[in-house]
Amino acid sequence: MPEWADPVAHYMLHEGLTATLRIAAYAVIGSTLIGVLLGTLLTIRFRPLQALIRLYVEVWRGLPILVTIFIVYFALPTTPVIHHRFGAITGASIGLILWGSAQVAEATRGAVQSIPSEQHEAAAALGFGWIGRHRSVILPQALRRLLPPLVSLLANIIQNTTIASLIGVTELLATGQRSIERLQLTPPGDSHAFAIYAALLVAFFCISFPLTRLAIYLERRLV
Amino acid sequence: MTMVASFDWHFIWEHIPDFWTGLKATLKVAAIGIGGSLAIGIVLGAARAHRIPVLSWVAAIYVEVIRNTPILVQIFFIAGGLTQIPGHPIRLEPFTIAWLSVMIWGGAYNTENFRAGFEAVPWRYREAGLALGFSRLATFVNVTLPIGARIALPSSINTYVSVLKNTSLLTAIGFAELTDTAYSLESQSFKPTEVYFALGATYLLVVWTLSALVRLVERRLAIPETR
Repeated sequence: MPEWADPVAHYMLHEGLTATLRIAAYAVIGSTLIGVLLGTLLTIRFRPLQALIRLYVEVWRGLPILVTIFIVYFALPTTPVIHHRFGAITGASIGLILWGSAQVAEATRGAVQSIPSEQHEAAAALGFGWIGRHRSVILPQALRRLLPPLVSLLANIIQNTTIASLIGVTELLATGQRSIERLQLTPPGDSHAFAIYAALLVAFFCISFPLTRLAIYLERRLV
Repeated sequence: MTMVASFDWHFIWEHIPDFWTGLKATLKVAAIGIGGSLAIGIVLGAARAHRIPVLSWVAAIYVEVIRNTPILVQIFFIAGGLTQIPGHPIRLEPFTIAWLSVMIWGGAYNTENFRAGFEAVPWRYREAGLALGFSRLATFVNVTLPIGARIALPSSINTYVSVLKNTSLLTAIGFAELTDTAYSLESQSFKPTEVYFALGATYLLVVWTLSALVRLVERRLAIPETR
């Protein structure tokens, strides 16, 4: 390892990777909670509610994540409705949650509808109400089918946390870029952009590849 | 109520030409990216499905590397990393970087789409083609491609929409597409609400129109018995 690499790797892993994993954790938890709720509600045959959730899903799936993050971080705080400035990590997390929850809602709707109607009927016959039926019978089965897409979502979200660097979050990509700049400004002033960007690709691959393999494995086992 | 009152519609109206210029750049890059990823998907997808030695392995590595790394890092690697290779720097025009990066990304996803599509074509169809005296290539062009490509259509459509959306990330290297245009407009005007809501509306209009159009094509091209 060349001499410059050690402090750079230390900075990127301690500062950058920590922020990346923090945003990813917020985004995955938020997306799952909101997405499962909206996806389950989407299976209720009540037109106005369905139309509202559909709109939510189509809007946040249709917008590029960068644009969603710009809207959340730059535009929302200036509207009288919100009028509250929040940090870049919060802004990026909310943007990722809007996108992720739309993905999860779509997947949940599919998973809930794939549970045979006999399960609904049997649960109803046992005297369960709508909430009890879903909590105790339908969702435990549907969530099993939801596990593989949730694991792929985690891999996707970790990759998409890099977009947070564009609103000033010092996550993994941003720490890499700062290191490139700093190395250029300090003597001997060599550019290590190629090595550092290549290292970033390797780092993300090492995180993402096991997750996508796990998703494929779960898909084969559970379905 | 105050929000509606303070929302400066006139500002948006005034800057429609700017948005239009940005949108044209976005559509141009997206069109090249989509066309390129279609070509990559068919060639490498066929190589994967038919297990062509060497090419199939190279394609598999390409797909895994691209799908498991963030596209934003890929863009910076092409724009900033390749120009700094010690000894052999590769310099590219911003426009080349733009279409190349979204094409490489879309090509990897499309390789998987087409691989799955071609593999779903029943073996007996290809056997019938070969039995009729078609060469392997002719069997692919006349039998596997027309059927497999239609099976792959729904998933590849999602990839094309994603390619279009990913062009927004070119803002990061200062390529003047739609998002970058809005970003500069905001830094001059300090009207984030107007600029970013107009930006979002423009993307939704384009993405929803594109989705509706391809679903129309999809319905026309669907394999009759599965309709």
